[in-house]
Amino acid sequence: MTISTQANESELVSKAQNGDRNAYGELVRTHSQGVLNVVYRMCGNSDLAEDAAQEAFIQAWLKISSYQKKASFKSWLYRIAVNAAVDMLRKEKRILPNTIEDLNLSDSRPSPESLLASSEKAELIRGAVLSLPNASRAVLVLREYEGLSYQEIAESLEIPIGTVMSRLSYARKLLKEKLETHFFSYAEVENV
Amino acid sequence: MSEHIIEKLSAYLDDELNNRETQKVEKHLEDCAICQEEYESLQMLSSLLAEAPLPDFPSPKEFSANLALRLPRKTVAPQSSKALEIGWWMAPIGLLTAWAFIITMNWVGDMLGAANTFGLVNITEIFGTGISTQATWSATLSNFGLLGGSNLQWAEILESFTRTTVPQIIFQISIATLYLSWMAIWWARHTRQPTVQTVKKNI
Repeated sequence: MTISTQANESELVSKAQNGDRNAYGELVRTHSQGVLNVVYRMCGNSDLAEDAAQEAFIQAWLKISSYQKKASFKSWLYRIAVNAAVDMLRKEKRILPNTIEDLNLSDSRPSPESLLASSEKAELIRGAVLSLPNASRAVLVLREYEGLSYQEIAESLEIPIGTVMSRLSYARKLLKEKLETHFFSYAEVENV
Repeated sequence: MSEHIIEKLSAYLDDELNNRETQKVEKHLEDCAICQEEYESLQMLSSLLAEAPLPDFPSPKEFSANLALRLPRKTVAPQSSKALEIGWWMAPIGLLTAWAFIITMNWVGDMLGAANTFGLVNITEIFGTGISTQATWSATLSNFGLLGGSNLQWAEILESFTRTTVPQIIFQISIATLYLSWMAIWWARHTRQPTVQTVKKNI
């Protein structure tokens, strides 16, 4: 984000804090795709994600007067988005898969040929991400899908940078284990 | 060969290590096949994750328009509420400052009295007269001709009362006001931010 964009955003936030709905609308348009992305990766369902994203923006609107410009607005917003996604899953009592085999795929161990079907591959990856614990999933999503720095993730989730590092490392380790049989061994064979 | 550095590879992949650590990891990767393999698998994992696409979400304009219908109206007065909070904190802080001032003055008076007793300071020489340790400040004022007669007696009684009873009263009131302020601010903050469930009902 450039300095002028940051200044503009800071101005929009100040206006929104004074109740300017148009300024808030502009902030929503800027961050809606990012928030949708985060909540979708957290929930794994597009309908739930849209609801959670709307909840997040409503929450942010109600709490915007308490936002202090110490952290970036995006970090602050993503914290609300992650919480909204977790709340939405809890409300829906949705049981996330613990393993990839819990996903309703026709074949739990697809052949290399079928893996080429990108939708099935995407479904496996999505399921593996969803099977991570909430805390690790949030860190992974913010890093891998939103490209946030460790500092921004720490601000977003209000955790120390050391915890970001350890959670991310743990999430990747778990993901590798979950995806190993489907992708990593196949890749090794392919590389031979 | 030094120990494996698997726990640092994730941060190295994200370019989040400092220069010294980055050099250390790079040097280690040149020599260690196990860590090199682990690093490659992390790179591969990152590429794999990027292959899970997003569904078709509404455009920012559409999303914003849909949200506008659900966005509750609210009266926002962050400045005045902030001023109110500061006002609530000012009362106990003012009282505690007054308490600290009285206590400090008492200590200084007591220390001067003690120094005089042990012969470290000659108060008579400094102020021109002997001063009771329980009425140092009023006696000093009388010495400068600012107090005299019945006024001096009243000042000495008042000073004695200020030394013993007033600090205790002020301290008790400060603690009570501090607690009251904290309660008032907590209550104000919670009534200002209704929950989303409440908002939904109002839509």
